[in-house]
Amino acid sequence: MNGLSQLHFAKAAELLVPSLIHGFGVVVQATILGFLLATFLGMVIAIGRLSNIKVIRGFLYLFLELIRGTPLLVQLVYIYYVVPLLCDLIAALFGYKTEVQIASLTAGIVGLGINYGCYMSEVIRASILSIDAGQTEAALVLGFGKYQALFRIVMPQALRSIVPSLGNYLVMMVKDTSLLAYVAVNELLLRTQSFASQTFFTIESYTYLAIAYLVISIPLSLLVKFIEYKFDKK
Amino acid sequence: MFNIFRLEKKFGDLEVLKNITMAIDDGEVVCIIGPSGSGKSTFLRCLNLLEIPTSGKMYYNGNILDADLDRKKLRKEVGMVFQRFNLFPMFTVLKNITYAPVRINKMKKEEAQELAMELLSKVGLADKANVYPSTLSGGQQQRVAIARALAMKPQMLLFDEPTSALDPELVGDVLKVMKQLAKDGMTMVVVTHEMGFARDVADRVVFMDKGYVVEEGKPEKIFNYPENPRTKEFLARVL
Repeated sequence: MNGLSQLHFAKAAELLVPSLIHGFGVVVQATILGFLLATFLGMVIAIGRLSNIKVIRGFLYLFLELIRGTPLLVQLVYIYYVVPLLCDLIAALFGYKTEVQIASLTAGIVGLGINYGCYMSEVIRASILSIDAGQTEAALVLGFGKYQALFRIVMPQALRSIVPSLGNYLVMMVKDTSLLAYVAVNELLLRTQSFASQTFFTIESYTYLAIAYLVISIPLSLLVKFIEYKFDKK
Repeated sequence: MFNIFRLEKKFGDLEVLKNITMAIDDGEVVCIIGPSGSGKSTFLRCLNLLEIPTSGKMYYNGNILDADLDRKKLRKEVGMVFQRFNLFPMFTVLKNITYAPVRINKMKKEEAQELAMELLSKVGLADKANVYPSTLSGGQQQRVAIARALAMKPQMLLFDEPTSALDPELVGDVLKVMKQLAKDGMTMVVVTHEMGFARDVADRVVFMDKGYVVEEGKPEKIFNYPENPRTKEFLARVL
């Protein structure tokens, strides 16, 4: 008996691909919002860590170690399952009875945003520090304030090295959205899992899943390479 | 214009400036000379509060300079030119000059550009308005930096070794611009190794060593009849 005749790629495609297309929308949404949040947090943390105030620097350093020392998957699970319980617990201490719930996609976006924000903050901080201190001084002596100098003079120069590196984080984040399956976000992996367990088209389903990620990540990394090239040339 | 009393500056345990008392008058050109590490640049950077003195008092036009002072306002009036030019690489020469007047002094863009062109002709670079700083020689960059400082219409200019990063043949153009400024009556404090410039242009020469003002006076006196042995030794080495 020919084992290959038991594979039903055409049929699996017919049933699974429409679902994957919906999942693709979820991936795009999670990536865009997660990346925006990460960029914002990365900026805030990077600038905070350059602050003169020791308490802010110390706090951010601890936060960074905490996030970088634990896996993203654990953070996602923690935000989705544990944070609502902690909120209830704190509310109970004040005599309120609550049942806090976090939507799974929200938890996923927040988790991705915080995790990537921490890693990206290091890139942003290093790029800011790589700009000659003379640039800041030149702005200060012309009457600009400290933050004006940072945002108007230093940051535009730092962006040239920030933007290409952040592109790589974007490609990574697309692939890491698969972890959101564990907090019940109906993205590509979760859809494929439930499809495969119902139909037993295991080989077909997961092959399509892998292809689906490649279809997103290969053009995206080409785009990032192109941006890197553009920035290098300048 | 400036009155400085018992100024001291420490970096950790290192005492960089020790007990400096000095007055700088309107229209005066003061040249500060001395060996490297003598605190010349630090002193200059204290005047516009790029460095905060550890102790002592400074008055600018009668106002005490302390932590509460509006630093931005002080720096609008006391401009600075750096050893390494520090032009903004992402802006054209013209925008380097107009950026602060437009943003900080709220000057109209056309007005600022007119002023910038006028200043560029003054420093001999009117044809370079639309190029980027990286295409200019060091001497040209420094002259743009001077024009940029002048565009804020400062009362006074601080020069931190403005010719030390330049190839020898480019020094002359920068010094010529500075001489013209001095002639026009600008108050200037210049940290320099150009003894010829100090001798010709300065109203007063200050010799600093190891954080102290060792000797000061008219250039003829300092260069021809130095009193302090350390001044004599330094001048013997550099002249």
